[in-house]
Amino acid sequence: MVKEEDSALYALLDSRGVSRRDFLKYCGSVAALLGLSELAAPQIAAAVEKAGKLTPTLWLAEGLCTGCTESMAQVDTPDVPAIVLDYLSVNYWETVMAAAGEAAEKNIADTVKAGGYLVVVEGSVMKGFGGNALRIAGKPALEELETVCKGAAAVVAVGSCAVDGGWVRATPNPADATGVSMFLKEKGIATPVVNLPTCPVNPEWVVAVLVSYLLLGKLPELDDIGRPKLIFGQTIHDNCPRRGHFENSEFVEVFGSAEEAMGYCLYKLGCKGPQTLTNCPIVRWNRRTSWCVEAGSPCIGCGNLNWVDVGAPFFERSAAVNVPGVGGVSPDAIGIGLGAVAAGGLLIHGIAQTATGRMGHGAPVEEKKGGEA
Amino acid sequence: MPESTATPVPTAVGAAAGRVVIDPITRIEGHLRVECQVADGVVKDAWVSAGLYRGMEAVLKGRRPEDAFYVAQRICGVCPISHGHASTMSSEEALGIKIPKNAVIIRNLIEAAQYLHSHILWFYTLAALDYVNPVTALSADIADTYALAEQAGTATGDFGAVQKRLKAFVEGGQLSIFAGHWWDHPAYKLSPELNLIAVAHYLEALEMQAEAASIIAVMGGKFPHFMTSVPGGTTWVPTEEKLDDVLFRFTKVKEWIDTRLIPDTLAIAPSYIDAINYGAGTGNLLSWGVFRDAEAPDDPKKRYLARGAVYTDAFKTGKVDMAAAQFVDADPKKVMEYVERSWYESPTKLNPAQGQTTANFTDYKVEDKYSWCKAPRHDGKNMEVGPLARMVVAYLSGRTEVKTIIDGALKALGAGGKPEVLFSLLGRVAARNLEAKVVADWSIMWVNDLVAAIKGGDSSYFVTSDADAGEGAGLWEAPRGSVGHWMTVEGGKIENYQVVAPTTWLCSPRDADGQLGAMEAALVGTPVADAEKPLEPLRVVHSFDP
Repeated sequence: MVKEEDSALYALLDSRGVSRRDFLKYCGSVAALLGLSELAAPQIAAAVEKAGKLTPTLWLAEGLCTGCTESMAQVDTPDVPAIVLDYLSVNYWETVMAAAGEAAEKNIADTVKAGGYLVVVEGSVMKGFGGNALRIAGKPALEELETVCKGAAAVVAVGSCAVDGGWVRATPNPADATGVSMFLKEKGIATPVVNLPTCPVNPEWVVAVLVSYLLLGKLPELDDIGRPKLIFGQTIHDNCPRRGHFENSEFVEVFGSAEEAMGYCLYKLGCKGPQTLTNCPIVRWNRRTSWCVEAGSPCIGCGNLNWVDVGAPFFERSAAVNVPGVGGVSPDAIGIGLGAVAAGGLLIHGIAQTATGRMGHGAPVEEKKGGEA
Repeated sequence: MPESTATPVPTAVGAAAGRVVIDPITRIEGHLRVECQVADGVVKDAWVSAGLYRGMEAVLKGRRPEDAFYVAQRICGVCPISHGHASTMSSEEALGIKIPKNAVIIRNLIEAAQYLHSHILWFYTLAALDYVNPVTALSADIADTYALAEQAGTATGDFGAVQKRLKAFVEGGQLSIFAGHWWDHPAYKLSPELNLIAVAHYLEALEMQAEAASIIAVMGGKFPHFMTSVPGGTTWVPTEEKLDDVLFRFTKVKEWIDTRLIPDTLAIAPSYIDAINYGAGTGNLLSWGVFRDAEAPDDPKKRYLARGAVYTDAFKTGKVDMAAAQFVDADPKKVMEYVERSWYESPTKLNPAQGQTTANFTDYKVEDKYSWCKAPRHDGKNMEVGPLARMVVAYLSGRTEVKTIIDGALKALGAGGKPEVLFSLLGRVAARNLEAKVVADWSIMWVNDLVAAIKGGDSSYFVTSDADAGEGAGLWEAPRGSVGHWMTVEGGKIENYQVVAPTTWLCSPRDADGQLGAMEAALVGTPVADAEKPLEPLRVVHSFDP
């Protein structure tokens, strides 16, 4: 067991007003997000002892919209003051740091020199125009990105832009944007990269990865494209609260309709939930307030690689499916096509037998469910 | 390869020779470099350079109009709502779609939530550290701090606990986001007690901006980047429970603005009253108007913050003369974009409806081309956009709520009856915070309007259209200024797309006639006490919320 009296980190946290009880509770929530048992909390707490000081972290802004930083500002597990004051020493984060200009750049140089730091990258790597598509401190930003990543213990690429260029690399990729892991591979840099796609990144995932690294001293288990398996292991469709309506062939045909009010499935309006691997329906957004599908919009698959080219037209499921409001195709005309697409989607999940029975002929949509007023 | 790649310009050069460079400008959205020529302790000339080109307009070509709503908002992660709304409005104008009344109100509410989020975040998280010094808060007397808060009419908190936390943090020796800043600068003027109050509210503000953002999540799915204001109306259908939630959250944010943001602004301002003497900028203001009247959704002059333009030409004449100011309607046809000083090789002086964007980096030279930003002009003039422009246009349009709050604030600051002092660094800061108060009050009213409409049996949220060609412009206002999206649609696909964002106006470089951009003009005349620590120019840059 941990001897709490002797823990330098506990003393540090205590002095900053973080109680041991809060901290253990917090370890529990990180553990839960990573799919570990609540029982892992004491084990995590034990690992904490070794640290004793706050890990230096550099948050780099590449070709970004600042949406991922904005997203981080919404997190409460823990909140931003705790992250930048109590858990990490964030020596560079353009959007929130006090220093500017040369003084700010010196923070990077000092941190790189001392070593043993983490890097978070937000935004696309801008290769266009000899790297001048993004200039910081009078030179192409990718020069500093390369140096900083080379000396880092690990890199976390937050948001789809940092993962693979995001919307910026969509056809025709006007500024030759790419993702961090591709860029480091080109440069022969072997620093491990964790990829956290979606646009913006869900801040709870960032906290989970950073803190699990701080506490356990290693990165979570990653899939073949560098995403934590426990966060990106299931489709949105698998965990969607509207899934029951999909099974019952109860679909929203037109936005803002009575079917939407009843929470029917958005599949026919182009929902990319069946193809998109994230745990959005569970973690949700903005302190678990809501998420895209709950607000009546189909998922646009912003967590997929090359998500704009792959996902658009966003309101289309296939060539046979069109959108009320743009093409004017009547919902009746798409029923047959839909059955086939739906069955295909279900095959992926190994439940094709359900599809053949219930979906194969495009079951009619109920106008009103029994018991509804 | 451009030479600048091999021989990078240092981040701060030749302060002795009078050239002061701040690169990167931090606590903003995106990437910005500012270069000032300083003599006799004053900025004599300035160049503002936008550092990033991504190519949104090229990415959208050939896609569907409704896809543009989802993609175009990702230009800016701090004001995606306004870009999303401008995009969806340009689709609707192109395809002749008139959205239902309830959708107009819901979009106003989502936009309002973003304004409150953005203005709180700007004042406390992005700008406060230019005026508030957490280091001196360590020596604040706690009893005096409570007395001061009471006297200033601002909310109290556990000031002792905040000071203890701050002390432990500083003693820990790892200064994190506060490391390396110019905390010994003589331009920090607040008393230790007022600094402590501001630090306490800085921490609270991080909670409150998240509360405001969660209102967007309820109606828009998430923030940043929202999902629901698709061309045709909204995908969100309110329920009684959700409306209660929205009203509760708006009320909480409004009370916080009333009890922190406004009294804090009035308490801090007297210490920086010299900031009414510089930072005026071009003296020309533009607003496309924002927050539609659900009864007259197509009239931009009837928006709650109306469309309009004001010309004082203060930068040329050296003073703001309100009696001689011209107050006219703003006209999108009068917008031209110049590229003589920008890294583009497409033709210059194009209206965005026929705009082109062909990027080509040459070299960074302030005498020649020095920015990824184009230089938009309205009727040939360099315009400032943002809360100051909106509030002055609304004031001159006779919007009662705006007139009342501006007149009251001017009186409180000893400048009663002199709206010309708004054209300054302090005026720009105050205008933003006062706007937050006005929008917060309206947000409660709009929730009640929506509830009344639904109770009256209106259940329409979305309309469809068969049109597949046309031209449209979505002209709107982001928290930081005027935003325009221009779209041409042919055969259901986007033929041309052009964006003139707030940053395009504010961070504009010089145009063909050598006229400075809004931020450049505002920097000229700014005092610089210490050329190695250019805190005052940083304040002017931040006052635009770029």
